[in-house]
Formats: sequence, structure tokens, C-alpha cells
Amino acid sequence: QEVDMQQQAENIRTVFNDPKNFNVKHPLYSPWTLWFDSPATKGRNLPQTPMTSFPQTPLLQTPGGLGGAAQGWMEDIKRVISFDSVEEFWGLYNNIVPPSQLPQKANYYLFKEGIIPAWEDEANKNGGKWSIQLPRDKNRGNIDRMWLYTMLAAIGETCDPLLTEDAVVSPPQSLLTGVIVSIRPQFYRLSIWTRTAPSGNGSSDDDKLRERIEAIGKHFKITVLGYGEAQKLAGPLATEVEFLSHKDSEKKKSAKKIIV
Amino acid sequence: GPLDLSGTKEPIAPALPSALASARIIDDINRVEYPEGIRSPKVELNVNAKDGKFKYDRDFLLQFMAICKEKPDSLPPLDAIGLEPSDQSYPI
Repeated sequence: QEVDMQQQAENIRTVFNDPKNFNVKHPLYSPWTLWFDSPATKGRNLPQTPMTSFPQTPLLQTPGGLGGAAQGWMEDIKRVISFDSVEEFWGLYNNIVPPSQLPQKANYYLFKEGIIPAWEDEANKNGGKWSIQLPRDKNRGNIDRMWLYTMLAAIGETCDPLLTEDAVVSPPQSLLTGVIVSIRPQFYRLSIWTRTAPSGNGSSDDDKLRERIEAIGKHFKITVLGYGEAQKLAGPLATEVEFLSHKDSEKKKSAKKIIV
Repeated sequence: GPLDLSGTKEPIAPALPSALASARIIDDINRVEYPEGIRSPKVELNVNAKDGKFKYDRDFLLQFMAICKEKPDSLPPLDAIGLEPSDQSYPI
């Protein structure tokens, strides 16, 4: 028996044992898809090679479908790649343009496979987002690391502390659906999208959900972005780490933000 | 019927399967022994983990950065999707 296990261990070659001829890879908790858009992608069609023959404009299973504006927007957003292992993620990371070198008005969207990076998607429509805005000039040297750490927290599935603490036989569904980096002339924005959002109705379930959402925000601020727990971040072109449900984002005026 | 390949510009040599394509999925993350100097994922993240649903801490993941450099086969040419570095000068 012991010999068997030893034999098995010897037959496992990770990329650390043999970078060229490894025979096992590290699966991710969920498969992910990277999307990209920028002014340069507008109206540009993907070449229909076998590897990119994925339907260009995904059909959303929403009642009534997308409105005209949102439909046009999805046509301009390009699916870059899907991956489901740690090794593939790094192969992608090492061969793609970092946010600091992207043109203005570009965005990366890293979402779980099957979820469209739009609030209209079934997985997003009842959710919300944690986001932070950072002045571009002061953060050119930070944004690549911040985006990398945001992606690693997402694919490593360490954002949702309940999922991590409750190592029970059937863990709850992950609240995370995707992460986004946006490049604008004056600032960067990083966002973490969640599947649900507290409604503030005062029920104990809603309070629990709010606690769980806040824990994600704190993890984002402290562990991912590296800020102090009580650190104030708002300033010219900068915001705190704040949460807004997609439904409240639509209303703008009566928006109820959570800040950590 | 037979595939119509007349539109294909040039014959494509069958690529050798990359290690990535042929590697199998780790099914028990706690059984993997890493070489000396490489740390395992935090054990508490994967208690009772199953079906390849593993969580990985950042320090573990960062160890792959310098090793996994090969461009994935499924990555399209970046200029074809308008994904190119901008020619921005950095005023100092």
C-alpha cells in the first residue's frame, strides 16, 4: 500500500517538477472567460477561425432581451479566451497587455464561464458590485499589480470568506461572478461583481447577506488592494471601496452605497 | 459529407500536443508533493474539497508566474481583436 502511494507520488509531475513535460495541472474552482473592449474593437469583427468561432454576440436569456444600446455594446466586446487551470491562466497573463499599457476607454472583464459581463445576465441581475476608483496619474505604477491580485482572488476563489471558512461538505454557491478593470483618461476603476445584493429589508437573511457582502468588500480593500482597514481613500478622482446593487445603480439618485 | 477545406489558406502542420493539453486534472490537491522551496496551497482552503473545486491563495498562485510563460493555443492574435498596447508616452 505504502509503495503504491509512493509510486503514485512519483508519477505526478507538476509544472514545478518539469516545466516542459508536466502531466498534471491545477484545476480552477470555476472556468473563466476573459473579455475585452476598447474604442478599437468597435465595429471590428473577429476572424472566424475555428478557435474564435464562438458566437460573437451571445444571446442573453433574459425576458425581453437586451435593449438596443446594451445589444450594441455586447457586439463591441470581444471574448479573448476561456481557461480552467492555474497553468493556463499564467500562460494568458504572460502573453497579454497589462492594464497600464491599454488604450484609454479600454476594459478587461474576467467572468465565470457562461456569465455575460453585463448586469442583464441572469447571474448578475440581482447582484451588485464592489468598486474603487483610483486617479490614473498616481496609480500607473500600481494598477497592474492591483488587477493581477484582483484576478488571483477571483480565480483562487478566496474573495468570499464564507466560502473559505465554511469548508463543509456542501459549501454555499460562490457569490462572485466576475471582476473588471476600466481604464479612463483620468482614472482607473476596479470592480468585483456579486451574484446577489442585500435589499435592506431588515430580515435576518438579508442582514446575513449584507455581512457576507461586506466581508468580500473588506477582503478586497485590505488583502487584495493592500489598504489599511480604516484608511480613507476618497479624494479628487478617487472613491472609497463601495458597494452598489445594479438595481440601485440604475436609479442613481436614491442609490444606497455600502462603504468599507 | 467530406469537409470542405478549399478555403484553408495553407496546410497546417499538426501541432504536437502541449503538456498543458495532455496534462490531467489534479484530483486530490492535498496529496500533491511539491519540490523543495515550493509551498503548497493553504491547507485550510481545501478541507473537504472535491470535484476539482480547489481554492488557491495568492502566494501559492504567484509561484507559477515565472514558469508558465507559454502562450495558450487558444489565445487569438491580439491585434485581430484590437487588443494592442497603446503608444503612450509616460511624462516624467
